[in-house]
Amino acid sequence: MRAALLMFSMALAFGQAKLPPYSKDVLPNGAQLFLLPRAGVPLVHFEVLIRGGVESDPADKAGLASITAALLRRGTAKRSAEQFVEELDYLGGSFNAGFFGAYPSATTITAQFLSKDFDAGLDLLADATLHPSFTETEARKILARSVDQMKAAKDNPQASIGNYFRAEYFGKTHPYGVPPDEASYQRMSREDIAAYHAKYYCGRNMLIVVTGDFDAAQAKAKLAKAFGAAPAGEAFSWVKTSAPARAGRVLLIDKPDATQTYFQIAQPGINIKSPDRTALELVNTLFGGRFTSMLNDELRVNSGLTYGAGSRVDQDRLPGAIVISTYTKTDTTIKAIDLALDVLKRFHDNGITAAQLASAKAYVKGLYPTQSLETMSQQARLVGQIELNGLGRDEADGLFARIDGVTLEKANETIRNYYQTGDLTMVILGAGDKIRDQVKKYDPHLREVSVKTPGWAVR
Amino acid sequence: MSCAWAQDVQTATLANGMKVIIQEDHNIPNVAMYFFYRIGSRNERPGITGISHFFEHMMFNGAKKYGPKQFDNEMEKAGGNNNANTGQDLTTYTDWFPSTALELMFDMEADRIRDLAIDPKMVQSEREVVYSERRSSVDNNNFGILREQLEAAAFTAHPYHWPVLGWPSDIEAWTQQDLKDYFAIGYAPNNCTMVVVGDVTAAGVMELAKKYIEPIPAHEPPPPVRTKEPEQLGERRLVVKKAAQLPIQMIAYHVPEAKNPDATVLDVISTLLSSGQSSRLYKRMIDEEPLALSVNGGQGDSLDPTIMIFTIQPRNGVDPARTEKVFYEELDRLKSAPVPERELQKAKNQMLSLHYARLETIAGRASLLGHFDAIFGDYRKTFTHDKDFQAVTAADIQRVAKRYFTEKNRTVATLIPEGK
Repeated sequence: MRAALLMFSMALAFGQAKLPPYSKDVLPNGAQLFLLPRAGVPLVHFEVLIRGGVESDPADKAGLASITAALLRRGTAKRSAEQFVEELDYLGGSFNAGFFGAYPSATTITAQFLSKDFDAGLDLLADATLHPSFTETEARKILARSVDQMKAAKDNPQASIGNYFRAEYFGKTHPYGVPPDEASYQRMSREDIAAYHAKYYCGRNMLIVVTGDFDAAQAKAKLAKAFGAAPAGEAFSWVKTSAPARAGRVLLIDKPDATQTYFQIAQPGINIKSPDRTALELVNTLFGGRFTSMLNDELRVNSGLTYGAGSRVDQDRLPGAIVISTYTKTDTTIKAIDLALDVLKRFHDNGITAAQLASAKAYVKGLYPTQSLETMSQQARLVGQIELNGLGRDEADGLFARIDGVTLEKANETIRNYYQTGDLTMVILGAGDKIRDQVKKYDPHLREVSVKTPGWAVR
Repeated sequence: MSCAWAQDVQTATLANGMKVIIQEDHNIPNVAMYFFYRIGSRNERPGITGISHFFEHMMFNGAKKYGPKQFDNEMEKAGGNNNANTGQDLTTYTDWFPSTALELMFDMEADRIRDLAIDPKMVQSEREVVYSERRSSVDNNNFGILREQLEAAAFTAHPYHWPVLGWPSDIEAWTQQDLKDYFAIGYAPNNCTMVVVGDVTAAGVMELAKKYIEPIPAHEPPPPVRTKEPEQLGERRLVVKKAAQLPIQMIAYHVPEAKNPDATVLDVISTLLSSGQSSRLYKRMIDEEPLALSVNGGQGDSLDPTIMIFTIQPRNGVDPARTEKVFYEELDRLKSAPVPERELQKAKNQMLSLHYARLETIAGRASLLGHFDAIFGDYRKTFTHDKDFQAVTAADIQRVAKRYFTEKNRTVATLIPEGK
């Protein structure tokens, strides 16, 4: 049909959607500024990154970086907490500060305002980011609330299994292996929070990205003035690479009232700069990254064991894991785990076909624009990650070429290297009395923890 | 509204009665194509509760031309993905794909609307999948289980009484014939609105719609829902006892359907009460007094009169009786004194920003255009909705609060941790 063919040829001619150009400047205090203006929806989006993230939490005070971020808006040098949130909400603005993803290497502060409110919005953002007052009252309130939030998290298996997994897979000497818990919040003080801010919220440790509908020249001057006020300080020095905890272990988390069992099965993966990243993303798409993936096909579509099964590949500064995760009713726990392990073995042994690889390539390319390029917050996030990790704009613009460069041979070699069937770490959450004896077959030295026990690690 | 992205929506109605809404947007080379069927759990009856949602699942399990798994396989191979959602009023199918896959999507959507195969083997396996979904969102989710009980208590007669996912015994029991009958009443082209937003031309979309969709015959839409919920005559209270670290409280009031002007006033009220850290309930119950971990409330746009639900999670050690009392004090404050001008304007500004943000993506616009068409009968409300809430006055808020937030009209559900 003519119209459809015409559209098809146009799409081929244009090829990949690109990240629009953006400017880069360094302020005298070392803060880096990136501007990407685009006319359209009359909104402006700010993203400020503070290097350190999960790696900057002290070992016994996990959650300090996040608590610091959450307190930024709770009172500043010139505004009470109440004034700040009232002004923010009056503008219809949004302001979020904290961690984005499980193992972020930065604290992310985002704010979005109507374009006409650029000045007022920037004033709020800079005031919170650079001049928070961290009163004793506000610090106490948020720490007490966070302790209760840890309790509430235990009532939600899908959320809490991720914390148990982190502690089990990475272990307590790894910066990714220590999720905040009741005790870590109880050990924190107002002084810890203020000291964290003084040390890390400084020019050399800060990136500022602005996207949306605004005038670049005017914005640059205003941003330089606002964020130039930060002391220069020092950039965060990254921790040395840590190895995950010993593999090949099974942890059972006992939640006696659970009517289904949640489980995660993990093995070593890559970091964000790995040369295998594109190939791994493609093969994992086929293994567990989309609806028709092998895991979802077997565990959901063919057998009805679960509502959903998948696999993810962590892509962070330090090497992460490749993690299978799903859930099933208590009675079919063993059947589902065995089937997941069987799919893994078949994937390892048989690899994939040229047709499968072509399908994965089309899928990853087809989704990319709506996942990374469409909105001003997606664009800011992409620029921030490119600059934070030193990836270069080829991260976005060269994606399709990198995808095209993955041969079938490379894909199958990647599968053989990364999808191993031995030495797996397994975390299983369910009704202990009903599944304990059966899951021992995966590890006779199975360890166990109750959801009622504070924290996420086996003591 | 002056924004470029608010214009150039084109509409048509096919000969078989399906409405088509198109908006061209060439920002990214992708398309959002949504189908809104005016059928949901309100169209069910005891014995087949949850069947609308089950149907949503079956729509991916094979038709005449594209057999089991092929819808997803072909779509992902062409660079697209999809989802679907069933509610009390509507069932929505959402396709996202590169513009190169437009004709494939028309072919596959037409195939399943016209000739869905209801394979008994797939039915059995999908029953298990739906049961697993229910276990995750209800049985192992304290908020989910409490809400289900709350709705069942607040509605005694109207179909909003039963859960969208269905009662477990119905999930286990519906038959092949139930499914065939239900497909026949719900999946008529004349009971559907198609919305296409993105990297397309309106002429190209219409050409494909005429080729693939228009030949599908129209038939009778679902019969009207006759049952109306009788007026509530006194407070209803219920308790769920379950293993939990913390209690949960839900307080619901009967409120009118989306087309009633009071619904817009209630939207402003829910913003005033629980949107942002400057909102009344956040300030009072989370910030100033350590009573709750979270508090929020609102009602969805609905075809029939519905309930506005407030959800409170009390802090560890706080008696739910205390959070309940403070919550009523805040509702009474809405009745006894007019909301100050700046506070009212603040709520409106928050609503406007949220509305703009939803319009930013092709998916967001497809969703709103279809939603306003299906619920309000006019997609143009997408672009005039802000005028409605801008017009709400402090007096409206006092009147509406007094009318609906009464003891007689409320249902209170509390989840109490077992053994505590």
